[in-house]
Amino acid sequence: MNEDEEQALATHEQELRRGTVVFASLVACRRPQYGYSLLTTLTEAGIATEANTLYPLLRRLEKQGLLTAEWNTEQARPRKYYTVTTSGAEVAAALHSRWLELDSSITKLWKEGTP
Amino acid sequence: MSALTDIYVDNVIGHLPEKSREDIAAEIRATINDMVEDRLGEFDHPAEDQSAAAEREVLEELGDPILLSREYTNSPQHFIGPASYPLYIWSLRWVLPTIAVLSVLTNVIVHIATTPQVRLGALLGQTIGSTVTALLIAFAVITILIGLGDRGLDGGTTQQLPGPRSKAWNVDDLRRKDTKGAQIRAEAVLNLIFIVLLALIPLIPTSLVYVGHLNNGETFINPDLGAGWLLGYWGFLTLMAVIEVIKLVRSSASAGLLITGVVLDVAMAVFLTIALLTQPVLHPDLTSASSAEVQQVITVIAIWFIVIWDQISTWRAHRANR
Repeated sequence: MNEDEEQALATHEQELRRGTVVFASLVACRRPQYGYSLLTTLTEAGIATEANTLYPLLRRLEKQGLLTAEWNTEQARPRKYYTVTTSGAEVAAALHSRWLELDSSITKLWKEGTP
Repeated sequence: MSALTDIYVDNVIGHLPEKSREDIAAEIRATINDMVEDRLGEFDHPAEDQSAAAEREVLEELGDPILLSREYTNSPQHFIGPASYPLYIWSLRWVLPTIAVLSVLTNVIVHIATTPQVRLGALLGQTIGSTVTALLIAFAVITILIGLGDRGLDGGTTQQLPGPRSKAWNVDDLRRKDTKGAQIRAEAVLNLIFIVLLALIPLIPTSLVYVGHLNNGETFINPDLGAGWLLGYWGFLTLMAVIEVIKLVRSSASAGLLITGVVLDVAMAVFLTIALLTQPVLHPDLTSASSAEVQQVITVIAIWFIVIWDQISTWRAHRANR
C-alpha cells in the first residue's frame, strides 16, 4: 500500500470509527462507567478511541438523553459515572440491529464480488 | 495535581459556557488523575520526575486544550454551514446581479439628469464606484444575515430553510433547472447589448470621453465616410443580432448556428479590415497624417485579435456544454 492509499485508508477508517464509538459507548454504558474506565473498556475491546473525543462525546450523548451522568463522591476520588438511559438502550438495540444488517449486507457483497 | 494540569484545565474551560465549566473541569481533572495513575501503576513509589513525566504524557495525549474545548462546545466552526450554503449561493447569484443592474441604471439616469454636460468618463467613474460599493454592502448584508440565521439552525445542520430549499425537491425542479439554456440566454443578452454598443459607435460624440475639443464634439468616425460603409457595418451587426435573438428564443445554440456566427464574424472582420485600410474611417481631426496608417493597422490587428479570441471562447463553451 503506497502513501496515498494509506492516507485514504486512514480517512475512511476514521469515518467508520466515528459512528462506531457512539454505538460502542452506549453498549458499554449498560453498566455504569466513568470516563477512563469506558476508555479502557473500549480499547480492550479493540475499539481504539481517543480520550479527547470520548469525553465530549459522552456529554453530547448525555444532552441527547441517551446517557445519564452522576458524580460518585463516595470513593477516594470523585468520578462521573455514565449509564445508558431507557431511551439510550432502545437506540443501542436499534443500532445493534442495523449493525448486524450492515454486516450481513457487506459480507454478502464481499462474497459476490470475490472471484 | 501539578500547576501544569491546572493550566491545561483552565485553557480548556476558558472557552466554555460558565455553567458547564466546573463540571467539565472536575471531569478532566479526574481523567488526568486516572490516566497518570494508570501509567505509574508499575511503580510502587514513583519518583517526582516519573510523576511529572507521566503527567506530561497524559496532557500530550489529550492534545491541544483549544481543540478539546471545541469538542466540548460542539458549536460550528464556520460562519455559513452546509445547510445554509445553497441558500447563500442562491442569494448571491440573484441579489448581486439585480443590485448591479439597478445601481447602474440609477446612476446613469441620475448622472444624465443632474449633469449639464454628460461625459462618459465621469459617468463611468461614478457608476462603477457606486456599483462596487453597493455590491460590497449587499454581499456583507447577505453574508451576515444568512450567517446569523445559520446560528439559529441547530448548528447549521437543520435541513429546513426558507427560500429555494423550503420546498421538497421533485422531478419538475429538474426540468426547470436548465442551466445550459440559462447560460446561453444570458450570453445572448450580453452579446445583444454589446452589438447595440457597437452599432452606436459611429454616432457617439467625442465630447462623451473628454476629447471633444479635438474635433469640436463630432463623432469618432469620419463624417465624410461613405454611407455604404456605415450601412454595411450596421447590416453585419443586424445579422449578428438576429443570430443572438434566435439563441435567446431557442435557449440553445446548434452547431449550424455557431458556424453561421463564425462566418459572420470573419466576414465582418474582413469588411472592417478593408474599410480601415482603404478609407479614412476615423475622424481626420483625431488622427495626425503621420500616424494615421499606424493607427489603422493597430485597429485592424485589434479587430482580428478580438475575432479570433471570440471564436476560440465560443467553441470552447460549445464543447463544454455538449
